[in-house]
Amino acid sequence: MSKNNTSIRDFLYEEPGPKTRTWIRIGTGIALVLLAWLIYAVIDRFNVTGQFREKYWIFFTRWTTWRFLGEGLLTTLRVAVTAGAITFALGFLLMRARLNRHTVIWRISAGIISFTRGVPTLLFVYFFFLVFPKTGIKLTGFWKITLPVAISACGVVAEALRSGVNAVPKGQREAALSLGMTERRSFYRVIFPQAFRFVIPTLIAEMVIVLKDTTFAYIVSCADLMQNAKVLISNYDALVSIYLVVAVIYILINYGLNKLSDSLARRGGTMESRRAKA
Amino acid sequence: MSAQTPVIEMRHVEKYYGDLHVLKDINLSVTKGEVVVIIGPSGSGKSTLCRTINRLETIGSGEILIDGEKIPEEGKKLAQLRSQIGMVFQSFNLFPHRTILDNVTLAPVDVLKRNKKEAQQEALELLKRVGVGDQANKVPAQLSGGQQQRAAIARALAMHPKAMLFDEPTSALDPEMIGEVLNVMTELAAEGMTMLVVTHEMNFARRVASRVIFMEDGAILEEGAPEEFFEHPKTQRAQAFLQSIREH
Ligand SMILES: Nc1ncnc2c1ncn2[C@@H]1O[C@H](COP(=O)(O)OP(=O)(O)O)[C@@H](O)[C@H]1O
Ligand SMILES: [Mg+2]
Repeated sequence: MSKNNTSIRDFLYEEPGPKTRTWIRIGTGIALVLLAWLIYAVIDRFNVTGQFREKYWIFFTRWTTWRFLGEGLLTTLRVAVTAGAITFALGFLLMRARLNRHTVIWRISAGIISFTRGVPTLLFVYFFFLVFPKTGIKLTGFWKITLPVAISACGVVAEALRSGVNAVPKGQREAALSLGMTERRSFYRVIFPQAFRFVIPTLIAEMVIVLKDTTFAYIVSCADLMQNAKVLISNYDALVSIYLVVAVIYILINYGLNKLSDSLARRGGTMESRRAKA
Repeated sequence: MSAQTPVIEMRHVEKYYGDLHVLKDINLSVTKGEVVVIIGPSGSGKSTLCRTINRLETIGSGEILIDGEKIPEEGKKLAQLRSQIGMVFQSFNLFPHRTILDNVTLAPVDVLKRNKKEAQQEALELLKRVGVGDQANKVPAQLSGGQQQRAAIARALAMHPKAMLFDEPTSALDPEMIGEVLNVMTELAAEGMTMLVVTHEMNFARRVASRVIFMEDGAILEEGAPEEFFEHPKTQRAQAFLQSIREH
């Protein structure tokens, strides 16, 4: 039997007919022309203002430039991965509490979730930068950026996980219970693995936000990619070239994350069968 | 425990959903090796009755006894009791993220702490017995409805239950797949399994049931041997109901 590959898109849109296809082609053509023109205009402006002059690019041939950016990138990745792990753990705990049947527990959790979702990341960053040190506890720049980024994302992660859990059909829990599993076992063995698979794309999207939020690191003077880029910009007085290169690096990382999301989503259904055969 | 102790016994069971009186003074017993079929119109409380027996639904008042003992209300004890009663659902409820083999071994390994290799061996035998031995390494979505339901029966059997509950096991199946599931159930009955079956398959009920129970509006209206019930239903409502399903 063939695997079910229909997506939500198939329900929302009909297969286009010949007329629609012609219109789509014309629309695509116009869009491409506009895009090409826009790119040309930008490049032309850069050219006119001399952004392609050698002095703005020559330092990219130096190994030390790349090493400096590389160190920043490494810090960015360390912050992002650590914040991602913390936010997942917090999000998981909040989700469990949110689904608890004790009113006090789920209300507290719901409160924390709304709070972290409602407050902008920057405010959390300033909290750890300015307010938290008043407690006398010393944090390194690394934690001053990692913790606020993690906290700011955990509410969204909690809600994503909860929506995944709610999307698992009730019969799954009942089947697990009827086989003698306790509620807890049925959650960890049957419900959560399915819920997690449902929300992988949402979680990865949230990881992209975490990655972007790490660029607030400059506030707490943690030497991440963005911060090091700023140093290079002032050293070489070369704004556009460095921003372009750094943007491309961020885009590549996020592209990688999206690819990962796609491949995980595609593999999800068959992972277990493959493992069983191995 | 005497030989007379029923495997399943319900005494004066009442249940409400808000204002809706779904189970009205239910008295029922199923002794070892018996196959009791419950029939009745949709919404009459058949599923609810089934589900109170392993406490997927709680009851308002009355008692439910398994092998003469009251059902524990919560925790490990309740889980242990449920592990002794197999349940087969209308919608199969196989675990879609696991292979068929994993579906069958998950509870024996996790709950009964059986050795994984042994559990797998037994699972393969069970799957062969219900006719899906060659599907063991597929995931549920790759099987037909009839195959999935047979695998679900194997999954329940792997726990060595002392009784099995079937809640309309063939209602979600295409007609050509109903027979294969009923055959498996018939074999089980012949091997002496104690069974409580909600179904509208009258031929199955006639051939296999030791007793037929007719429910309507949350109450048991009639109870009797299958020939008697199908040929000479005592209540008018049972007559009307049988008439209505014969017409289909
Ligand atoms: N969780 C529930 N909450 C409220 N009413 C319910 C619930 N489950 C079932 N019911 C109602 O209880 C009655 C009996 O349902 P059910 O046991 O499923 O009947 P049957 O299996 O005979 O079709 C129906 O009227 C149904 O709408
Ligand atoms: Mg029902």
